[in-house]
Amino acid sequence: MIEFKNVNKWFGKLHVLNNIDLKISKGEVLVICGPSGSGKSTLIRCINRLEKIQKGEIIVNNTPVHDKHTNLTKLRAQIGFVFQQFHLYPHMTVLQNVMLAPVNVKKLAKSEAEKIALEKLEQVGLTEKSSAYPAQLSGGQQQRVAIARGLTMSPEIMLFDEPTSALDPEMIGEVLDVMVNLVSEGMTMCVVTHEMGFAKKVAHRVLFMDEGKIVETGTPDDFFDNPKTDRAAEFISKILTH
Amino acid sequence: MLVDFNFRIIFEYLPLFLTGLRSTCFIAVVSIALALATGIIACACRISGVKAIKYPAIAYIEIIRSTPLLVQIYFLYFGLPTLGLRVPELQTGILALMLNSGAYIAEIIRAGITSVDDGQLEAGTASGLNYFQRMRFIILPQALGVTIPPLLGQNIVLVKDSALLSLISVMELTRCGQTMTSERFMPAEAFFTVAFFYMCIYFCLKALADWSQRKLIFREAY
Ligand SMILES: Nc1ncnc2c1ncn2[C@@H]1O[C@H](COP(=O)(O)OP(=O)(O)OP(=O)(O)O)[C@@H](O)[C@H]1O
Ligand SMILES: [Mg+2]
Repeated sequence: MIEFKNVNKWFGKLHVLNNIDLKISKGEVLVICGPSGSGKSTLIRCINRLEKIQKGEIIVNNTPVHDKHTNLTKLRAQIGFVFQQFHLYPHMTVLQNVMLAPVNVKKLAKSEAEKIALEKLEQVGLTEKSSAYPAQLSGGQQQRVAIARGLTMSPEIMLFDEPTSALDPEMIGEVLDVMVNLVSEGMTMCVVTHEMGFAKKVAHRVLFMDEGKIVETGTPDDFFDNPKTDRAAEFISKILTH
Repeated sequence: MLVDFNFRIIFEYLPLFLTGLRSTCFIAVVSIALALATGIIACACRISGVKAIKYPAIAYIEIIRSTPLLVQIYFLYFGLPTLGLRVPELQTGILALMLNSGAYIAEIIRAGITSVDDGQLEAGTASGLNYFQRMRFIILPQALGVTIPPLLGQNIVLVKDSALLSLISVMELTRCGQTMTSERFMPAEAFFTVAFFYMCIYFCLKALADWSQRKLIFREAY
């Protein structure tokens, strides 16, 4: 479903993605972890072309993402993206946040978009907040709205960039629960996170990155309990003591 | 003192003042509309990544902001004819106000746009909104809220600045005061009346801005 072929990316002289080869199949849940600055965000941001790549190819559902003839709108409609800092639109209500893309990108009728939006809000447990403004919600609630916003386009793939890193500890659980629910629906997911519990519970595969390279991949249990490389072992001991 | 104040003469000259008021309002409305258009275009060029339009926009904005309006007015008034362009005083004056305010408006709009968090734009991009949709639904509604008060201030400045057009003999409000002064030598009455009419314009503009701000801030996206 998602395929990286020899992908390379530079920010100026900095080689952020170094010969990335990766295949993610339909329904797979991939957790990406690694130290700060290792290129995790950049990797998933390339999947919906929030970042350009300089070499190699990324293919999503048989579409070459970085081809200049690719219909980006259509591509991005299949991919939901959840940011660390939520990035809700503060001047719109929760419902308007969630409805914006279906109405304007998919050109759905307002009534239909509203129906889908309310379904998704129910899925994240926030139906009663639909007329609130983002500033009136807690961080955890805002992130759940952001997830609902990503889901209203009925994407086949959901990308998460450290969805719980900006949250107070007591709110992390509610967001992870929503994500676990998505997994049980068979959603294809790439999640940048250091939440080991989440990874062990639902991930099919863990990918460890360092300095722009994929250093190690494995099942969550193998990776966290018996890391093959020293760098991964060192990283895991750091997040455990953290 | 107030006993000496000649209200009769004000009434005698009222038709002249009303012509002047009409002229000032006309100049203001036309200049504000043109300046807004100029400002929006200059701002779009200024924030564009294309150097060929970005640098001319920067040059225009900085030249205007670093020189006095009166100099700009004289520059056009005396300069255009030497280029072989015969432009009547009124049009020259409107052109000067348009170019002057346009530069300030460009910077006001730019400040409004850059005040919107980049992350929201990325969220819009990621959900498939195109450039114009991101502008329309995410940036502009938020930018308008912070832009309206300074924009209102700039329009009020423009109305008051239009008094300078009297120096190139455009028959507007201030020029009417000068006319009455030279015909009857009653400057106090003349400029009291002139000031009164400027205040009327000011309060109308202010009411309009308050109303539009209530309407526009956080306006619904659809
Ligand atoms: N727009 C940019 N311009 C220049 N350098 C960038 C840009 N974005 C990221 N970088 C650099 O690229 C490297 C990888 O960044 P990236 O955000 O992908 O790391 P990360 O693994 O997500 O880190 P973190 O855990 O801190 O989020 C970092 O060194 C970062 O400073
Ligand atoms: Mg990151």
